[in-house]
Amino acid sequence: MVEVVIASGKGGVGKSTISSSISALLSHKNIGIVDADAEAPNLHLIFDTNSWEEEIEYKEKSVAAIDYEKCVNCSICQEVCTYEAVENRNGLPHIKEYICEGCGACKVVCPVDAVRITKNNLSGWIRVGRTRYGPFVTSELDVGQPNSGKLVTEEKNIAKKWVREGKIKHIIVDSAAGIGCQVIASMSGATYALLVAEPTESSLSDLRRVFYLAEHFRTKSFIIINKENMNLGFNGIMKFSEENDLEIIGKIPYDKTVAASMTHKMPLVEYDGNSPASRSIKEIASFLEDLMP
Amino acid sequence: MECPNDHILLSSGLKGEEKSYIFRPRFNYSKCTKCSLCRDNCTENAIVMFKEGYPFLMPTLCSGCKTCQLACPSKAIEEDRKEIGLTYVTPVNNNLTLVTGVLKEGEERSYPLVLNTKRRADIMDFDLEIYDTSAGTGNHVAAALEDSEFALVVTEPTPLGIHDMKMIMHLLEKLNIKGYVILNRADLVNDEHIIPDYEIIGSIPLSDDIVQSYVRGKPVVDAFPESDASVELRRIMERVSELLW
Repeated sequence: MVEVVIASGKGGVGKSTISSSISALLSHKNIGIVDADAEAPNLHLIFDTNSWEEEIEYKEKSVAAIDYEKCVNCSICQEVCTYEAVENRNGLPHIKEYICEGCGACKVVCPVDAVRITKNNLSGWIRVGRTRYGPFVTSELDVGQPNSGKLVTEEKNIAKKWVREGKIKHIIVDSAAGIGCQVIASMSGATYALLVAEPTESSLSDLRRVFYLAEHFRTKSFIIINKENMNLGFNGIMKFSEENDLEIIGKIPYDKTVAASMTHKMPLVEYDGNSPASRSIKEIASFLEDLMP
Repeated sequence: MECPNDHILLSSGLKGEEKSYIFRPRFNYSKCTKCSLCRDNCTENAIVMFKEGYPFLMPTLCSGCKTCQLACPSKAIEEDRKEIGLTYVTPVNNNLTLVTGVLKEGEERSYPLVLNTKRRADIMDFDLEIYDTSAGTGNHVAAALEDSEFALVVTEPTPLGIHDMKMIMHLLEKLNIKGYVILNRADLVNDEHIIPDYEIIGSIPLSDDIVQSYVRGKPVVDAFPESDASVELRRIMERVSELLW
């Protein structure tokens, strides 16, 4: 089994475009696809998946609740909350549910036992569906929730079960932007990481940070430069790849067809297989193909 | 926090570095009575007890919430700290200061650092604070949005952009903050009906000048003041000023 994760640090550099097209090109390798961006899932839109075989409610949220019958309004709960999730509203403590992580500090200090931690509240959804390229799992985290890493781990576990059952052989993971818990969960256990960057200082800065994570997990990384002709004078990524002995496996030119393919809800290589960006992505896919037994 | 970029466009380097910490328990075993309340109250299951009955911390699971310290009846948990990142205060010009948080790589939670960065901004007592949030809709974004007069929601008029915009709007509703939409790369699609019924206060055209300004590491309004995009951005700024004052 090979698990490929597509990550970038920076958002909007083309992860989903590349993941969806690579999935389309590698479907004959028996792949399963994971959209690991629970705060802004998008792959289902490119795959135009409208119905789900299974929708699992994800109940992980713990949140504090105040019993106002008992509350004596001493405001100690507000003082101890590390997350500033308790505010004073009309003279009474009020829990901001979109921030509260349910740690229970307020419960522990309450002198009249007026705080309860309610567990297993709905925090998101895991959805399982089918695409033309293989089985697909995506998720959506309800807004204002902490720690979506566990949700991503759950998704990956579903895909790994498909591998054990012989339903698929390999897994493609489209990671979230950033370097937080969702990306950490995406990277953990991956065989290869495709790190997507644009030729700008800011994208390079984010690339360094996501590469640090990949190194931490000992995931073998490759670099893809997207929109590479937007800044031909920039050699920062080239230098970074040499310094860290990283192979650049693709240089994708800026291509207006990409936006059009999104509007038509199709992977780029399916929308226009001969566009300049499509041709580059095909080379990347054939490189990956050799890594997939 | 996770991938800060504003400083690259606004100034040459970050200044005024301060380390940012969260709480970490340190067990004083001479005071510990092995009552296990710290472990029982830890919702992250970050405290384990072995045969001898003393608590041990699993550092990667600890979120720094202090519940264990508050629960300990014998004051056996002392305050230690863990570095989660850095904050900076960089003067850009006489009227503009950039406050930045940089999350340490490998740190899972950006929320506490958002809070620390916000606190650092608040003590400077600015006339106006503008928050550039990270992507997504989690509590790290909610913390940045909180207490705002209103929010500018930037999106592309593609099905993907609209989908994520709706998620942000949903979060704003929960926070009771009004959201105004700015369409970026507005001419990508000529299909107006995919844009839901929100108040749109600006439409920035697809522009090579924006790409080039990014390449040069400058805001587009400085690099190409005459560009269509800059004209529209100035118009948006005027609209925002009207909303504020």
